[in-house]
Amino acid sequence: MNATLALIRDTFREAFARRIFWGFFGCCTALLLFLIFILRVDVVQGALATISIFGNSLPSTNVENLVQQTQSVIAMVLYFAGMALSVFASAGLVSSVFEPGRIELLLSKPVSRTHLLLGRYAGNVLVVAANILYLVVGSWVIFGIKTGVWGLGFLISSLCTIFVFSVLLAAIVLVGVIWDSAAVAIMVTFAIMILTPILAQKNTLERLLSSEWSRDVVRVLYYTLPKTSDISIIIRHLILNQPVESWMPVWSTGLFGIAVLGLGLWRFNKRSF
Amino acid sequence: MSGFAINNKSGFAIETEGLTRVFRNRWANTELRAVDNVSLQVPEGCTFGLLGANGAGKTTFVKMLLSSVHPTSGTARIFGRHAQDASSRRSVGYLPENHRFPTYMTGWGMLDFYGALSGMDSASRKRKIPEMLTTVGLDERAWHTRLGKYSKGMLQRVGLGQAMLHAPRLLVLDEPSDGVDPVGRKQIRDVLQALEQQGVTIFLNSHLLAEVELFCHDVAIIQKGKLSLSGSVKDLTSSGGYRVTACEVPEALISELATRSKAHSVEHGLLELMFSTREQANSAVDSLRANQCEIESLHAIRSTLEEVFIRTVSEKPEGVTDK
Repeated sequence: MNATLALIRDTFREAFARRIFWGFFGCCTALLLFLIFILRVDVVQGALATISIFGNSLPSTNVENLVQQTQSVIAMVLYFAGMALSVFASAGLVSSVFEPGRIELLLSKPVSRTHLLLGRYAGNVLVVAANILYLVVGSWVIFGIKTGVWGLGFLISSLCTIFVFSVLLAAIVLVGVIWDSAAVAIMVTFAIMILTPILAQKNTLERLLSSEWSRDVVRVLYYTLPKTSDISIIIRHLILNQPVESWMPVWSTGLFGIAVLGLGLWRFNKRSF
Repeated sequence: MSGFAINNKSGFAIETEGLTRVFRNRWANTELRAVDNVSLQVPEGCTFGLLGANGAGKTTFVKMLLSSVHPTSGTARIFGRHAQDASSRRSVGYLPENHRFPTYMTGWGMLDFYGALSGMDSASRKRKIPEMLTTVGLDERAWHTRLGKYSKGMLQRVGLGQAMLHAPRLLVLDEPSDGVDPVGRKQIRDVLQALEQQGVTIFLNSHLLAEVELFCHDVAIIQKGKLSLSGSVKDLTSSGGYRVTACEVPEALISELATRSKAHSVEHGLLELMFSTREQANSAVDSLRANQCEIESLHAIRSTLEEVFIRTVSEKPEGVTDK
């Protein structure tokens, strides 16, 4: 437990030193301040609300709908832009562990390689989770106080975002273990993030493709790779209190994460430094 | 000494058997035998120096002991436990050669982090860190300064501190005094000597042969991955031969002894004889005494460790061929 905490604390310290954490924290704080001071919501008769930004009023609307829509916008910005920034920042945190002169000392300690890598992985997830939760819980509280709407969908959506990040981080770990390169890890992860929304249009692609084998390739890629695009739809549904049609994108993405992280651990255990 | 008791029946801190590491480059279809069939035993409580030219395989050997490099074949054991077993490293402190300590850590933070990884609890770390930082000669101002601002010598000291913090029974030090000034070297030597007296096994990998000669009892020389020579420093440095001087030696005996010696000279009635082995020298003394000759002196000619090292690495080890 001592070693695990030390590894997590060290990841936070490195994130602080690289100013990654502070960068995220600054962006989140700016958004929260925006919600506190700039966005004014006047609730009229408990159901209708008038929203004003920089003093300009928008037409009255249903307060719950207004809050949910705003939360879904924040969640989507966080999901796509925040995720991209997190991947960009985390790649360096993973590959720095494999630097010659640092890894030998870590490996000389009475801690198994699996423990070392999982400790670093957990630390990295927690760095990003702390920022996501800060923004989501902060804005949820602000919306709750200003409007009296306390729906849990927004909070649950943040867990989905953290979950998808942890899956992408598993890919970063695998690439980092194989190539020791933050740049390659970022490229591969971004490629996954770009490819998956395209693959999410599986049905359209299948209609457009002429050969059966190319349709098979699309199907295999779709079911194998994380379904970031499909999960973003699930997040939106959760926030808007709409039923989720299928949880397959979540569990299959989880399986991808477990498999890739397992492969990363196996490679790390086999590798000589 | 150590806080971690490990039952070691073998009596050896380090034991390797046929340890081999081959680096293969599949693209270029080449292979490099960085460590080739090295069998070595380092008794507990010993101060042991591993010597070798650059690229001889010393660091790869050390990395295999500490499991950062996996052996191609052979085994390595630390206090009787397989080196691949993480628990074998509970009683080991290590200072790597080209270390890259995280620059965002402070001296205190670094010891705290590596201490926790070594299995120390929070209270012991809090108690021992200031002691250790003082022992390695870092003043209080440096304790909470980031490592990025440390000089090379200070980094060596803090690195040594992290290696010793958890009171290991085996210290593996790769160039411990690299970048440290002469006063600092002496301080480090004193610290290590104190540890040696407490029964800590010290495995030193250094290019500074004078330092190894001063400090180590046993050494091994590794050349092109193979173990070329091992033994006690005392024995290895006394292998320069034996000199016997005597006077009033009859001509006939001079002629006889001259044939048995490596070299001889007669000056002002004093015969000086050089022998390769102790037995030859003893036999010559017997002959001289039997002929009522006076023995003026008898002593072993000592080589420096550097001379032994140069002599060894100049010879090609068995099975090593130049490509």
